Amino acid sequence: MKSLKRMVPLLGATLVLLLLFWWRVPGFLNTENLLDLAQQISVNAIMAFGMTLAILIGGIDLSVGALLALVGTTTVFVLTVQGGESQSVAWLSLSIAAGLGVSLVFGLFHGLSAATTRMPPFIITLATMLVARGCALRYNEGRPMHIPEFQTIFLEIGNGRLWGKVPIPVLIMLVIFAAMVVLLHQTRLGQYIYAMGGNREAARFTGIPLVRVEVIVYTICSVLTGVAGMIHTSQLYSAEPGSGVGFELNAIAAAVVGGTSFTGGRGTMVGTLLGAVIIGILSKGLNQAGVHFSLQYIVNGLVILGAVFIDVRGKSTR
Amino acid sequence: MAVAEFLPPPLLALHGVTKRFGGVCALDHVDFDLREGEIHALLGENGAGKSTLIKILGGIHSPDAGSMSIRGRNADIRGVSDANRLGIRLIHQELSLAPNLTVAENIFLGREPTQFGLLARRKLHDDAAHLVKSLGMAEIADVWQTVARLSVARQQLVEIARALSCQAQILVLDEPTSSLSDAETTELFVTLKRLRSQGVGIIYISHRLEEIMQLADRITVLRDGKSIGTRRAGQVNTRELVKWMVGRDVMDYSHFRRGEPGDVAIEVHNLSNRHVHDVSFEVRYGEVLGIAGLVGSGRSELGRALFGIDRVDRGEIRIDGRAVKIHRPSQALSAGLVLVPEDRKAQGLVVAQTTEFNIALPWVREWIWGPVPNLAARDAIVRSAIDRFRIRVSDATLPIDSLSGGNQQKALVGRWMHRPPKILVLDEPTRGVDVGAREEMFRIIGELAEAGMAIILISSDLDEVIQMSHRVAVYRDGTILKTLSSEQTSLEVIMRLLTGAGAE
Repeated sequence: MKSLKRMVPLLGATLVLLLLFWWRVPGFLNTENLLDLAQQISVNAIMAFGMTLAILIGGIDLSVGALLALVGTTTVFVLTVQGGESQSVAWLSLSIAAGLGVSLVFGLFHGLSAATTRMPPFIITLATMLVARGCALRYNEGRPMHIPEFQTIFLEIGNGRLWGKVPIPVLIMLVIFAAMVVLLHQTRLGQYIYAMGGNREAARFTGIPLVRVEVIVYTICSVLTGVAGMIHTSQLYSAEPGSGVGFELNAIAAAVVGGTSFTGGRGTMVGTLLGAVIIGILSKGLNQAGVHFSLQYIVNGLVILGAVFIDVRGKSTR
Repeated sequence: MAVAEFLPPPLLALHGVTKRFGGVCALDHVDFDLREGEIHALLGENGAGKSTLIKILGGIHSPDAGSMSIRGRNADIRGVSDANRLGIRLIHQELSLAPNLTVAENIFLGREPTQFGLLARRKLHDDAAHLVKSLGMAEIADVWQTVARLSVARQQLVEIARALSCQAQILVLDEPTSSLSDAETTELFVTLKRLRSQGVGIIYISHRLEEIMQLADRITVLRDGKSIGTRRAGQVNTRELVKWMVGRDVMDYSHFRRGEPGDVAIEVHNLSNRHVHDVSFEVRYGEVLGIAGLVGSGRSELGRALFGIDRVDRGEIRIDGRAVKIHRPSQALSAGLVLVPEDRKAQGLVVAQTTEFNIALPWVREWIWGPVPNLAARDAIVRSAIDRFRIRVSDATLPIDSLSGGNQQKALVGRWMHRPPKILVLDEPTRGVDVGAREEMFRIIGELAEAGMAIILISSDLDEVIQMSHRVAVYRDGTILKTLSSEQTSLEVIMRLLTGAGAE
């Protein structure tokens, strides 16, 4: 429960922000507005969960934004290459498998090269970020690819609502969140991740399979990006090769605001979820309050700085 | 004595210097003096107080009592900058050079000549070349050479040149030859003797008696923080020096009973890699084999090779008579071999995590296998390690950082005892722990051996090795020089072998 106590400042910040925008923006706390907010948070939160794993083992994944675009373009390319006037579930599954397959390949590559060569993950994923972006731009001469209206199932992924109320992306995000909490706190892999991030040498001397852990972590990170890519593409009604720019930074920001230590070994999924929520409230709230987008950048930056400052200070006094 | 009064005051003199760390007296009223143009060797076992003494000289520690003077003038060293101003320069085993800069840039690092506010690179290199030439260091005459491309021996010369370029009169060399070949050592000695003839005072620390007999003018021996005496090098032989260093009043732990060794647990044949050369030995169940080696002898690398951390090029490991392949720690563990590493903080503990996390970590398989972790099983593992090893821990859910060094060490050993290994390799198990924790560690080693575990005790603490081991393998330069039975072992014998004075 000690770890929950660390969440108090984050919960407090969330509450303060909600009240602040409620005061400035009429109807900010309406159910419809909140559901909309949750939907907007989902994509970033899902990517941030994977990013948290990478940061926890002392790594990073800069490629997720570009990978998101590549997954989208790949999926829609396969989906539309057949042509036709009606959707086929089999072909849809194949398209999604192709998109997720691409993310899987990137994840395996990141993990294997980080674990078996001495290349830093920062550089590896910086490079694959460029590769993924380039690959995404190969489709359709770099122009957006429209998703036909009759592909209702795929369009539901990003825009549908369960019982006409709960957005599907939010549901997906919550399911992944639950799975990640279990993974981090109830499985061997979770123990290994914390050990490896806390002290890689000590983990080695304990007999932990470092290569395997690293490969699994980067693969999860990429595949979650794949899932986020499906949602994002569906929400846009088209695959945009230029989408997802800067998404990796939002994911890192969510993890860091949520208390994930950049040196590894410290951080939780609950923290990251709250981090994503705070960043989401900020951008939606500032938008609705009519704040110019240039100011939004500044506020976002200061919030990240402030959150990390409080986190670091709390650590040194403990 | 009448003559002494007419001699100029010594270059450096210490009177009654005392330093305590908590309850431990690291230096106890030590007197020491160094004359101009003299090489004065400082000898002693690990922990005798040598490093404390040189840290006081270098301004890293300040003494609790006593005085220091330089050329008869009282010297108050309160920090590294004071030491530098007074002309004292420490040259550590780990060199502090910037590897990507040139020889000249390193020599004048922080004091670069400038011209119009810009770095005067030409002048810098000319000055350095001039200095190196006047010091007669032909080996580093090419001052444009990048330091990273020099051998360790030559890097050491750069460091010495740097010290002398800021008017150092007193050089302190801490184990300068530990990573040098014989030829390089000879080269270094030529340089040191030349510096001596130029009037520099040199304090020289080494474990190798043969070197000291060859190089030093006078020798001072420290033991348990006290100065045992100072002699002219010609007046003593190595046998006497060893006796001085070791003393006679050695604490005795022989009351720890040991069982009779059983069958052979592990045989190692011609194990070789980059650091370990043709090492062969065997250990029986219930036996403690001591590996006695000084700092830098490569003794930890032997442990790393056995445990599958470092790659093994050649050789064979047999456990219970069956050849085993160990390329990874996990393979060593499943073969029944555990290594408790030397550096607790860097290699042993996940410091930010709790005590229970650290103890239960190797056994994750035992308490996480169903859909839900079996926390009761984990707590049982943690509890039994804490109880069995009497680890003093107020709350196992606090970071392991909150434990004392001795208790951290006990946790690191104790966590493996949930399923005791056949063979336990301990690397420096009592380094940095207090006397009480050290005795408890001895008790634990004794009990484990009595219970039939085969134990390999790697240590540079010779008292420890002798008291706890059935046999002692004397380890130097990556290989076993000789294995001694318990009747043959004594500090004198081991020290003679380790310092290369065995030929006498």
